[in-house]
Order: sequence, then C-alpha cells, then structure tokens
Amino acid sequence: MMIHVKNLVKRYGDLVALDHLSLDIKEGEIFGLLGPNGSGKSTAINCILSLLSYDKGEIEIFGKKMTPDAYAIKRDIGIVMQNVAVFDELTVYENINYFCGLYVRDKAERKQLVEEAIAFVELEDFRKFYPKKLSGGLLRRLNIACGIAHKPKLIFLDEPTVAVDPQSRNKILEGIEKLNAQGATIVYTSHYMEEVEQICSKIVILDKGRVIASGTKEELKAMITLGEKITVETFSIEETQLCQLRALPGVVSVDKIDKRLIIKSGKGTNNLESVLNFLKNNQIGFGRIYSELPTLNDVFLEITGKQLRD
Amino acid sequence: MFAHVFRYRFKCLIRDKQLVFWTLLFPILLATFFYLAFMNLNDDEAFHPIDAAVVVSGHNQYDAPFKSALNSVSKGKNRLFNMKAASNQEEAAEWLKQGKIDGYYTSGKTIKLTVKESGFNQSIMTTFADQYRSSNSAVMQIASDHPEALQNGLLNDVGNRQNYVKEISGGSAEPNNILNYFYSLIAMACLYGSFWGMKEVSDIQANITDRAARVNMAPVHKLKAFIAGSSAALVILYTEILILLTYLRLGLNISFGPRTGYVLLTALVGSVLGLSFGAFISALIKKGGGLKVAILMVVTMVGSFLSGMMFLDMKYIIAEYLPPLVWLNPVNLLTDAFYALYYYDSLNRYALNVGAMLLFIVLFSAATYLIVRRRKYASL
Repeated sequence: MMIHVKNLVKRYGDLVALDHLSLDIKEGEIFGLLGPNGSGKSTAINCILSLLSYDKGEIEIFGKKMTPDAYAIKRDIGIVMQNVAVFDELTVYENINYFCGLYVRDKAERKQLVEEAIAFVELEDFRKFYPKKLSGGLLRRLNIACGIAHKPKLIFLDEPTVAVDPQSRNKILEGIEKLNAQGATIVYTSHYMEEVEQICSKIVILDKGRVIASGTKEELKAMITLGEKITVETFSIEETQLCQLRALPGVVSVDKIDKRLIIKSGKGTNNLESVLNFLKNNQIGFGRIYSELPTLNDVFLEITGKQLRD
Repeated sequence: MFAHVFRYRFKCLIRDKQLVFWTLLFPILLATFFYLAFMNLNDDEAFHPIDAAVVVSGHNQYDAPFKSALNSVSKGKNRLFNMKAASNQEEAAEWLKQGKIDGYYTSGKTIKLTVKESGFNQSIMTTFADQYRSSNSAVMQIASDHPEALQNGLLNDVGNRQNYVKEISGGSAEPNNILNYFYSLIAMACLYGSFWGMKEVSDIQANITDRAARVNMAPVHKLKAFIAGSSAALVILYTEILILLTYLRLGLNISFGPRTGYVLLTALVGSVLGLSFGAFISALIKKGGGLKVAILMVVTMVGSFLSGMMFLDMKYIIAEYLPPLVWLNPVNLLTDAFYALYYYDSLNRYALNVGAMLLFIVLFSAATYLIVRRRKYASL
C-alpha cells in the first residue's frame, strides 16, 4: 500500500473539514479525489503530506508513519501545488534545478533529471524564460516539472489544470498518464469530473470532508439507478403524452427544459428504442435525439442531491 | 545542500529589482540629496573674518592705541577682522554703501561705529568697540591714579583674559554637524535590510507561500534551508552597506573617524540587526505581505526620524525627554554607534550601543526561531 489513511479528522474551529476520512491507495494507481470546491480535497492532501496538523487519525506512506521529519519518505514524493509555486526571479531551468536540487545532490544526475523534466513538459524552447514571460498553460507545465523532476514514486497533483486552456490541459493529462506508465503512483485531485473519469483508475468522491463513494468509474456508475440519459429536441408535446412517456417501462423521470426532453432511464437495454417507438406512434416531431451514459456528476447528483460544481 | 540553497536564494534575492532599489539605490540617492542639501551647513556655521574699516581722527593719542588694538585682532588665521584703513569718512561710507564692509569705526576720543544694518557681524563689531572702550577707560583711570602700574605690566594684565571654565574634549575629532544625518541614513539602510529578512521567512513558511510549502515538502531541514537563505541575504545586504559606506567616504567625503575596522563591524552588526528584525516581523504577522512591508517601513522611518535623520535636534530631544527610547530604537543604536566611533576616543559608548544591538538580534532571532520551527500548520 502506498498510502493508508484511517479515520482522519481535521477541524477548523466548528467546521469539520475532514470527517473520519479513510483512504487506501495502491502502488501504480492513478487515484482520483473528486469533489466540489471546499469538499476537503486539498485539506486531505496537506494532512497526508504533514503540512497541516490534524485532530485525529493515522497516516502512513510507503508503510511508514508520515511526519514532517520523515525525510526518507519525502524523498520519494513529488507535489504539484494547486497554485503555481515557482520563483519569479529564476528562469524555467533554474526553477526546476532548484527544486530538483532539494532532492538530488549529485550535479550530473540532477542535470540529466532536469533536462528530462523539461522535455517531459515540452518547455525546451523556454528554458531561459522567466515565469512572468510564460502563458498560463506553460506556467502550469513548469509547476509540474518542478514537482516531478526528481522522479518520485508518488506524485500528488492538486488541481493542476485549473485555469488552463484545453490544449495545455490535454498535454497535462497525457503527461500524468505517461508518469503513471513509467511507474509513478498518482494522487490526483480535481473538481473536473471529465478529467478524473478520463485518467483515474480509482476514484473517491468527497463531500463535506467525507467519502461518499469510491471505486472505479464503472463501479461508481453501477451504484446509481440511472442507466441512460436520453435527450430529445422536440417542437411540441402535450402534457398527456408526457405522462404516457413517464409510464414507459424503464423510464425513471422525464423533464421538459425549453424545447428539450430529458428522459432518464434505469439500467437495461432498448431504452432508446422504446422512446423512439413512442415518439413515432404518437406522431411527435423531433429534431435530434441522443443518448448519454451516466457521468460522475450523475453519481454525485444522485448521492448528494446536488451538482458536482454547485 | 547548504551551498545549493544559498546559491539559488542569492540569485532570487539579487534579481529582485524592487528590493535592490530600496536597500541600495535609494540610500545612495538619499545620501546624495543630503550631501547637496547639507554641504554648506558646516561652512555657514564657521566663523568668517568680518570685513571692516577704520577712519582715523588725526589725533595720535586716540588713534594709536585703537589702531594697535584693531591690528592685534586682524592678524593670523583666526583673525576677527579683515581691516582696511579708509582715508576719510566719505570713502568708508562708500565702501559700506557698496557692501564691501559690514561697518567702520571712527577713532577719536569716543569710538564711533557706523553700520548699515544690524546682524551677527555688526553685533561683534559693537562688542569689540564696547570692550575696547571699557578696557581703555580702565587703563586710563589706573594710569591716572597709579602711574607706577604702567611699569608693573598693567597693559599686559588688561590684555590677558582668564578663562575659568576648563574644556575637556571626549575625542580628537573635528565637530561636524552633518555627520549624524549620514550615520542615521546608514542605519536606515541597514534596517531596510529587514525586507530581505521578510522575504526569507515568507519563502520558508508553508502557511505564507506555496513555494514555501513546496520547500517544506522536500527532504531538507527547514531551519537549515532558512539559515542558508538568510546567509545569502546577509551577504547581499552587507555588500550593499559596504557600497554605501564606500560611496559616502570616497564619493561624498563623509568621515567615519580613523577606526575603519570598527566601522565595518558596526555595519555588519547593523545588517544582521536589519535582517533579524524583518524575519521576526514576517514570522510574527500572519496577515498579507503589504501589512508587513508597511510595518517595517513605518518602524524604520519613525526610528530614523527619532535618531535625527530629518531633524538633528530630535536625537537630543529624545535623549533628554524619553531616554528609554534611545535604547529601544534600533536605528538610533546604530546611528549612535557610528557617532561614538567618530567623536569619542573611548569605546565605552560604542560598546553599549553594539551590545544593545546584539541583544536585539538575539531576541529577534530567538522569537523567529520559535515561530518558524513549527513543522505543521493549523491552516494553510
């Protein structure tokens, strides 16, 4: 086990930021901590890393108790902070070299690692640039390079794609998968469910400091009743027809939003076909019709009654 | 590891243009302005011989002793008058009108002084005339009553002045009214070094910056990293102070007395004091950087004012009415250390100032250590 957290409690006065949080993260996983802003993701990471004090609980990394002085453990950890944490007065190369140098003393080895990190985040053309000259996406990549240059076994990435353009975001996500493929265990926090769904092999959903669900994305989706979401762009439908639609086998709910019908069906097959037949038999005209499988947002919505991004 | 952190902290600090401006260029600019403003201050206070003239009456019994008295004070480097003899009243009046002289005497039975306006020089001329009249009258009276006194050295006795106040100098240095301004300016520059200290603490406290959180996560002892960074800051600050001292000494000809070694030691102690003060304030105040900068700026500027940087007499006013503040104001301690080095042969006063500064350094450093040593934070 790379990380073992048991009954972690962290309070800020009366506010319980982490409420008996328990996690087990295995070697080789891309472990996603998903939750809305303020759900306790960053607090959990900072407690695990011994930056924050906590009220109760046990934290072990690599099978050993994590403390601020556990330098042997820290040596194999990389962290990519939520905010860009680099020095404005140092160039791209110097920033990476500085942070890498806190872990690796041998100059030749360090030089090699820094070059690899620069290549990894594709900042070769910017090595002499100061951070202020970099765009938001490039800054994020520099931030990542500073955290991973020393080739850690365990990497924490705390919302590394916040305020990043789609192109840079894709590069970052590809990079994370590459790091994982090279053997690193990743702990990834985000409130972007698509990212977590895309890269994480195991996901824990947090809300108000508590684990509300955990498992693979398939396991999480299997926990809820929703099996399919069918959207129909229709021009007109009568109230009686809506009632008939709701009474179809497998249909859980039907909502009319503007000119769209959102039909949620339970697990099963032929949901789309039965809706199509109903529309045809009742001569209800429609523009487009499409079906979506449930997302992690739907999981969160069904469990908590609110949207992930609320 | 020490060398690695030192090297990169040095780069970070030296490339901070704002800090370099405030801790090096600003004191140099201020020193230059001080120099331009105060360069004539000593000259203004120095005594310059008075341009004067004498018109003789033609009666030798009156003219000869007065001319003799005038000649005696119109010779040498420390003369009282630049005395010219006018051939007649009209010529002297013309010189006075043209401003070539501040006044002229007309000898005779009664000494007459003619001036165009009242002022310092005119008062001296009046005093001289009054003293001459008084002495002359005394000699005439004694000579009339006791003619033998003239043989017994009456004139020498009258000419002699007995001083009943003994002057003991604390040192051999020339008095200089402007030095304190520059000494307090150096002290201010040292205290501006507090900004370096503030930056060092900010970059090691995980609850202040994300960079610091990243350093805290590295397998490096936090205090060792802090000491390495502070050493880099000290090297930069001390070098800046040495540049300032060199500029003052060689560029502006400001004297620090003959004890160069002690001057350099004082600058070093002042630099450490500035750094430790900034580190302490930064560690103590948990609010944003703006508030910390404001506190450091206010303390430094108020301290400089109280030590006489803007108004020389303030130093003496504080010493007279609020003596504890003399020892509580780090800017004053530093200013006074330079002052004592320049003026006093004895090192007692200097040692007291340096001792007080060292005490402050110990207090600031200990308090900073107690705050910074924290390994976990309640919140980030």
